[in-house]
Formats: sequence, C-alpha cells, structure tokens
Amino acid sequence: MELTQTLHVVALAFYALAAALLGVSLARSARRLPAAATACLAGGVAAHGAALAAFTARYGELPLVGLGPSLSVLALLVALGSLLLATLGRTGPLGLVLVPVAAALAAVAEVAGMRPAAQEMAFRGPWFVLHVVLAMAGYAGLTVAFAAGLMYLLQFRQLKGKRFGAVFRFFPPLDTLDRIGRRALMVGLPFLAVSLLLGWAWSERFGFDMQAGNPKVVWGVITLGVFVAALAARAGQGAARAWRGALVSVVGFAVVVAAYVLLRAAESAGAGFL
Amino acid sequence: MPLAVVGASHRTAPIEHRERFALGRAEVPGALLGLAADGAEAVVLSTCNRTEVYLSLPDGSDGVEHARALLAARIGHDATSAARFFYVHRDRQAAEHLFRVAAGLDSMILGEPQIQGQVKEAYAAAREVAGENGPVVGQALHRLFQTAFSIGGRVRSETGLGIGAASVSSAAVHLAKKIFGSLKGHRALVLGAGEMSETTLECLRDEGVRTAIVANRTYDRAAELAERWGGEAIHWEEFAGALPQVDIVICSTAAPHPVLTVERLRGALPHGPRRPLCIIDIAIPRDVEAAVAEQPNVFLYNIDDLQQIVDDNLGRRRAELPQAEAIVGQGVEDFWAWYSGLAVVPTIRALRDRGEQMRQAEMQRALRQLAHLTPEDQLAIDALTRSLVNKVLHAPTARLRDAAGNGRGTGVLDTVRYLFELDRDARGPGDTD
Repeated sequence: MELTQTLHVVALAFYALAAALLGVSLARSARRLPAAATACLAGGVAAHGAALAAFTARYGELPLVGLGPSLSVLALLVALGSLLLATLGRTGPLGLVLVPVAAALAAVAEVAGMRPAAQEMAFRGPWFVLHVVLAMAGYAGLTVAFAAGLMYLLQFRQLKGKRFGAVFRFFPPLDTLDRIGRRALMVGLPFLAVSLLLGWAWSERFGFDMQAGNPKVVWGVITLGVFVAALAARAGQGAARAWRGALVSVVGFAVVVAAYVLLRAAESAGAGFL
Repeated sequence: MPLAVVGASHRTAPIEHRERFALGRAEVPGALLGLAADGAEAVVLSTCNRTEVYLSLPDGSDGVEHARALLAARIGHDATSAARFFYVHRDRQAAEHLFRVAAGLDSMILGEPQIQGQVKEAYAAAREVAGENGPVVGQALHRLFQTAFSIGGRVRSETGLGIGAASVSSAAVHLAKKIFGSLKGHRALVLGAGEMSETTLECLRDEGVRTAIVANRTYDRAAELAERWGGEAIHWEEFAGALPQVDIVICSTAAPHPVLTVERLRGALPHGPRRPLCIIDIAIPRDVEAAVAEQPNVFLYNIDDLQQIVDDNLGRRRAELPQAEAIVGQGVEDFWAWYSGLAVVPTIRALRDRGEQMRQAEMQRALRQLAHLTPEDQLAIDALTRSLVNKVLHAPTARLRDAAGNGRGTGVLDTVRYLFELDRDARGPGDTD
C-alpha cells in the first residue's frame, strides 16, 4: 500500500472513530467524549492533509482532477469545517452530520481510486486550481448549511413537541444553528459564483464546449440556484423564516447530490464529469 | 490538633432556624476571633442552607463546645437543647464533609454550583481576620480548603454532576437558551408579580436579559418588582401590546382561567411573531391556553414540562454520584496522609533534637578526655557520632511517618514519647485521644 493510500485510510479511520464518539455522546451525554471526538477529528484532518500532500509529491500535481482526488479534497474541507466549528465555534455537535459526510466522501474517494485523471495537463494552471478549490469551498459551505439545517429542523421539532431527550440536550440552540447555516451559505455562495465564472472564462480560453447541456454547467447552475433559494428563504423576518431556510438548505443539498448522481449516470463513460 | 466541623444544614434544621443560624458578613470576623481565641484555626461557612464552623483545634481546646454555644445562642437555646439541630464531625469525617459540601454532594439540589463559590468566599473572609494569636487560618485549614476547592473543581469537570438545570427557574432559562442561544440583549415580559416570577426573572437577568416589562393586576406590585429588577411596569390591560416587543414571556398569575389566549396572541401579533417567542407558564391553573403552542414560532412550556427537565437532570446527576464520591474519597485519603504526617513532625523534631543533644554532650565529654587529638581526628569523631545517631533514629522516624499514614499514629507517638522521654510539647495537630 503506498503512502497516499495508507494515510488516506488512517484519516478515514479517524473520521469513523470521531463519528462513533459523537454518536455515543448523543446517546449517553458523556462529558469527555465530545473532546475526544474533536481530537480524533483533528487527527483525521492531519492524516488527510498529509495524504493529499503525499499525492501531490507522488504525481507532481494537486489532487483536483478525477473523482477520487476531488472527493477527497471536498471531504477534507468538510472535515476541516467541522473541526473549526468544534474548536472555534464550540459547536462540535454539528460533527454528528458533518463527520459522517466527510467519512463517506473519503470512503467513496478511496474506492474510486486516488489517482489523477488521464486528462491533458496543459489546462491545469493557477486559474484552474483556483476554480476547483473555490468550487470545493462552495460545496463544503453547502454541506455545512445542510448539517446546520438538518439539526435545526430536528431541534425545532424537539422544542415544539416538548421532547427533552438526547437531541434536545446535545444539539446546539436553534439560533446558533440558524446563524451557522446562514453564514455557511453567505460564505459559500460567492466562492461558488466566482468559481463558476472562472470555469466559464477558462473554458472560453481553451475552447471547451460549455453549452447549456454540459453536465458541469447544469450541476453548477443547480447548485447556485440552491444557494440562492436557501438564502432567499431566510430573507425577511417572517414567523417561519429560519425554519424555512433550514428546510430549503436540507432539500437543496439533497437536490444537488441527486443531480450529481443522475448527471453522472446519464453521462457517457469517460466524459470526465468530476 | 484535631480537625472538627460543627454545623446545621438543611438536613438537620428547619428553614426558620437556618435563617437565624446564618451569620451576616459583618458578624463573621467577630465570631472567628472568638473561636480562635485559644489558638484554634477557624472558618465560618454561612449560606441559606447551612451554617458551619470549621476548626483546627489545639490540644485541650473546647472549641467544639464554643462553636455549639455560638450557634445555639443564635436561636435562643443553650447548646444542649439545640443539639438536635447540629452535627459534629471530627478529623477525617470533618475533611470528608467539607469536600462533599464543596463538590455539591451535600447540597439541597445535588450538584448545584453556587456552593463552591460560597466556600471560597468563606475561606477568603477568614483569611483576612487575625487576632492576638495571629491569623485565624493557619497551615491546616489552608490545606483543607485548598484541597476542597480542587476536589470541587474535579467533580465538576470530570463528572456530569453539574450538568443540566436542576430547578424550575433554571430549567426555564435552559429552555430559553436552547431557543435563543445567548440571552444577552433579549427582552422579557413578566405576567404576574409572584415569587416564582421573580425567581425566574432573576435567573434570566443573570443570563443577560436586560429589558423586563412587568404586568400585574395590581399595578403597585408590578412597579415594585420592576423597580427591584430595573424593568418597566405596565398596566395589566396593556400587556398584549407588549408582546411584539419581547422574546420571552413568563406567566405566573393567580388567575383562575387563561389570560393569554390564541385570540389575544393573534390580536397582538396578526402575522405571528417575527422572532421565536418563548412562553414559560409556571402558573397553576395555567395562564396560557394550550392551543397557543400550535402558533408558528411560539414555544410554550408549562410547569410540568419544566419539572420533567428537572427530574431528568437530577436522575442523570444521581447516576454520576459514584464517580464523584470516588474523587472525594481519594481527596480525603490524600489530605489525611498529609495531615497525619503533619501530626508527627513535632515528635520527630523532638526526637532528633534529643538525639543531637545527647550526641553533643557525649562528644564534648569524650573530647575533654582526648585532648591530644588533632582537629582532623576530632572532625572524624564528630562525623562518626552524627552518622551513628542518624542511623539509630532513621528506623523510628520512618516508622512514625508510616504509622501516621495508616492511622496508628496516636499509639505509636505515645510510645515514642514514653520511651525517649520526650516533652509533652511535642504533640502536634491531629495527635489526640
């Protein structure tokens, strides 16, 4: 097993352990387990970062092209977001959703193979790197908004229904979840928008076919639409503003994932979508 | 010097006596000086649920009786007739008692956090008092209280004993925080000016709620409560108009029927609340119509909901007791090992002094008869005798420390004093019958 793969598997194991510890924390209200979960998550992020560095050293390029490397980068960004929320934002319970998502993405990346795609290297300049990194940051933002939205809806249900169980105790307050979801969207949207503009400019320069039917364009526009819809749902000061925003974030995330799966399934083999 | 605690708490004395036992801040220095008059160390802990006197006493002191008399006098009894309200713990039990108190294990609400601050305040107040015999807090009580703070901190950080709301008013705050996160800057409307309203309002103020509007059927009572808590009083008829301005509503009126109905809420907020509205109804019968809970963005809780949270949390706290007791038990062992060692120090010192005196006397006598020895030879003899005395006293010294650590200190100390004809002044703290 080469170094990249070894480190990737170690990161995956750390993520799985962190997710398990958070699950036990939810069930048992154990005092020290969330801190242990955060430590595991930090270990996973470190190992994951090292794995991607090893990839770069091994292949002489950043892990931005090909399904395995791209998903791995996205997984790292999601895990990093969860770690920052746990340490700086003191909202570690969001890891209940984010860490399994990161682990699942890393696992799919591992199965897909951590190899660069056989595409022309000529296009992989700084603008391309920026385009992909910004897009990944945008998708990571959407994932955080999804996690916050899902937890908001669950906590809302507990509070409305007077169920004072594990979710009530362990999940952050509604206002905190609303704020995190809104900020994740507000940060993610410009990242994604700039990324799409860069992608368009980049494709123009190299004469790529980026017509309306191109899966990349379709997926990007759908994602952008989800961002706009989720932010629009939070606009104003209506009675259910936050609840509506959380719902749109959750449904929107599901739409983005479903769109990716459908587009990839409909695409002819080897077309290189992600 | 034995340790002792004399006290009355919620376990032994009814509220009407506890409130009379309690010493005001200004009374504490005088009481401490009286208790420490015979050279004792003393700390007085006085809260609404307990008044306790912690003592480290010199031999022969009647400090325990003095403390009993002090407390009994406060309820107009003599020490004998008031004895049923008191408990007295000595030595290890006294240390264990303080550690349990500081950890919240002896509190009326298991694990309540205020007691540790109160113990710290009591200790700090005693540290500032000094009488003819010096400060009223010496080495023994200093170590005892520092250990208590450490144990209290460990119990809170290493167990779940302090987690979750454990009273109805703190459960109300806990619920509000689950909705709003921080309560800083949020606004509250209080309907009814009873004791429960005030207690809940106090808790909310502690969490940063700065704007409170008080409505009561008797305006004067509302004005009184509002003035006490820096709020604003309004007439009862105006309370619906205040609803759009607030985030939290506390209801605790004596009305026999709901005062906040769906109709009234819709009248005040025709488009529903723009922000979440948390309504805490602690009145019996209820002040808020149950259907209000079905309105969007309204979170309604009554006294049963709050009590359910309290019961759940107390159940979870009780499950943490074994772990907390283990921390206290370890703390008692560590403290007592140190304290027992302290007890043998004067005896060991006297023993070594006696050995050194004998060595010096014998060496001087020998050197007078051996005047021809060179200075180097005299130094060699000095070293030889010193080494002999050290070797002879090493085993008794080590055994004394061991005996102190395993609880056999008193008997062994008496034996050593008898065998080596040590002065009675060598008795130390904890070294009692």
